[in-house]
Amino acid sequence: MRLRPLDLAIGLVAAGVVAFSAIAAYGQGGGQAEAVIRGRDGEWVYPLTADRELRVDGPLGETTVVIRDKTIRITDSPCPNKTCIAAGAIGKPGQWVACLPNQVFVSVEGRGAGGGVDAIVY
Amino acid sequence: MGASTRSSTRAAERSSAERGRADVTALLGAFCFFLSAVEYMIPKPLPFMRLGIANLPILLAADLLPLPWYLALALVKVFGMSVISGSLFSYVALFSLAGTLTAALAMWLARRAFGRGVTAVGVSILGAVASNAVQMGLARVLVFGEAVRLIAPPFLATGLVTGAFLGVFAEIFVERSRWYARARSQVDGRG
Repeated sequence: MRLRPLDLAIGLVAAGVVAFSAIAAYGQGGGQAEAVIRGRDGEWVYPLTADRELRVDGPLGETTVVIRDKTIRITDSPCPNKTCIAAGAIGKPGQWVACLPNQVFVSVEGRGAGGGVDAIVY
Repeated sequence: MGASTRSSTRAAERSSAERGRADVTALLGAFCFFLSAVEYMIPKPLPFMRLGIANLPILLAADLLPLPWYLALALVKVFGMSVISGSLFSYVALFSLAGTLTAALAMWLARRAFGRGVTAVGVSILGAVASNAVQMGLARVLVFGEAVRLIAPPFLATGLVTGAFLGVFAEIFVERSRWYARARSQVDGRG
């Protein structure tokens, strides 16, 4: 097998696309790490510092999300594969875990400046 | 007399080529089913991240089949994957359909445009990254909105890496496989 110049060109363009997407995702940040939960009915932002358990409605039922020890994880979801539960806890800005079948997306984002707000509902 | 013999030989060759294409499509389609099951078995570090091994038959077919048979194979793959992962009647099947058709068309066009100027490695990377990019676009519209930018980097990077590995495998397979050489003469009506 001998690679052609076009193989390398395609590889480089693809690597460029990956690098661009990484800069777009992780470029900003700083600020306090917050848990962002997006579900079918809206988007919620919680501080990671207070432990709590949340239920998010989706097309299949309720997904349970738990914030504990400055990390957040999906502990239960009515999806067939349970990949979201197996993904475990996240705590660093840019990390995410999702339940695609139940349309729940959980991420940690470093966008807020912190402050005294417990929860923001959009 | 001579002319009519020649044209009937050509007609026979044509129908044998058509049969050969149907055979190759059916076999590769069956491989798509099998590889979908293998894919489904392998644990994933993140949801809906895939190795894309079920796309291997499509990558091999980009060189073998004319467009209608090739697209039929891509649809068989989408159907097989969706049946095996249980997502056929959910909106997740849309992701499979959009991703697979994008990858299939990108790989077919790359092969037709560049011919031997590109190996299966380049074709495969192009298909994988194009497919993932389209799925990200779809996810942005349908499910995640802005949050897609967080999902995109690991997803696209996986496409690049698995696409490259699948391409290397396909290239070596094409070089060595006797089945592939026979399939090639079959779809040309010489087998």
